[in-house]
Amino acid sequence: MEMNTRIISHEFEYFAPNSIQETLTLLDQHGSEAKIIAGGTDLVSQMKMGKRTPAYIIDIKRIKELQYIAGDMVLKIGAGNNLRGVMNFFLPASVPYAGLYEAIRSIGKTQVLNMATIGGNLCNGSPKADTAPPLLTYDARIKLVSLKGERILALKDFHSGPNRTIMEANELMTEIQLDKLPKGTSSAFEKKARVGADISKITCAVTVVRDGDVCRSCRIALGAAAPVPMRAFQAESMLTGKIMNDALTEETSQQVAQEINPPTVGRTHPEYRRHLAAVMFKDGFRRAWQQAGGGK
Amino acid sequence: MKKYTIHLTVNGEKHTLEVYPNALLLNVIREDIGLTGTKYACGTGQCGACTVEVNGEPVLGCMTLAVAVDGAEIKTIEGLAQPDGTLDPLQEAFLDTNAVQCGFCTSGMILIGKDLLNKNPSPSESEIRNHIKGNLCRCTGYNGITRAILKCSK
Repeated sequence: MEMNTRIISHEFEYFAPNSIQETLTLLDQHGSEAKIIAGGTDLVSQMKMGKRTPAYIIDIKRIKELQYIAGDMVLKIGAGNNLRGVMNFFLPASVPYAGLYEAIRSIGKTQVLNMATIGGNLCNGSPKADTAPPLLTYDARIKLVSLKGERILALKDFHSGPNRTIMEANELMTEIQLDKLPKGTSSAFEKKARVGADISKITCAVTVVRDGDVCRSCRIALGAAAPVPMRAFQAESMLTGKIMNDALTEETSQQVAQEINPPTVGRTHPEYRRHLAAVMFKDGFRRAWQQAGGGK
Repeated sequence: MKKYTIHLTVNGEKHTLEVYPNALLLNVIREDIGLTGTKYACGTGQCGACTVEVNGEPVLGCMTLAVAVDGAEIKTIEGLAQPDGTLDPLQEAFLDTNAVQCGFCTSGMILIGKDLLNKNPSPSESEIRNHIKGNLCRCTGYNGITRAILKCSK
């Protein structure tokens, strides 16, 4: 279909359930022919271009049960929270979760932060989703619910390919769970895009647990660097329990560059993405390391 | 395709409309209600020209299903001036600082600027530039626009 961004040309039926239960019943009835809409910032654009033509749209924006952030040892974030709400929750950039705050802030567009939800950013399945890398470094879990029950799985097992996830057609993502991070933890997010408020060319999130000069652990995740948002596990293992110095940071950055699996098509050359991955890891690591040490 | 009845309060005026579920808020405002101050430009959520306030928060009218905002209070650029035509101070500031050239981005720029001033009455220049980042101007007008918002910063 020819691109037309003024209207959505295909027809669909619309539902606006008021509860999770009602949503699950609708999903059970309409399954793969239905698409969930929350903020719509990705889906509406895809529908305009004819890339997605669902017969049923289920709008979950009004479901208050999906809009909460609460918890102490486990922080539970309702999937229906808009990004602005999540960003403001972590204001002022609370040290352990600074990476998530920075990732949402990097999306930049005030209007999109009001519309888009954290659940939508993940369920859309994009390898470029800005919230995915920091959440991966926090070992986030997600809760998927259907009429048949619920399952909780690690975010790292959620994306299955470009714009694909393992979510079944009758499932709804209701919650993102973060474990409380240990003392001495900090995180940072780095993004390279063409211009401000743009889709990412490549992103890198780093979470470190620091004890003086020793790196207790470091978790590294990248977006737009592989078919799915990914962790750089081998690079991470190089830092566990090590006394940090510049040479080790440099060596680890080279491993990060090796470990990514950049697309060979598109406007960014794979070698350039590898170069950026190394540089962005170093920048992100240094900032997270300094924050974790109280600025040192 | 089935039509849906929706109720919108636009700039304080109540409207009851029959819309198809694939109708976009921007088109309903421009074509059904007849307020053409809100602009269609990129249509893909990149430029911010279609910005309107829904329940007090700026959103992109071209990416919002009209049926999804049933019952909402909506403010467009036409709702900013007083009923007697007295312009909002930010609109005056846009005129004073030559922040308007072709004018296509202006409604969105003023609404997003207003949103910032409502939340932070004394923004700095960098806070202004950050907040309007999602609104594009193709006439190189960012300096004038920033100056206009800065002029209203207390």
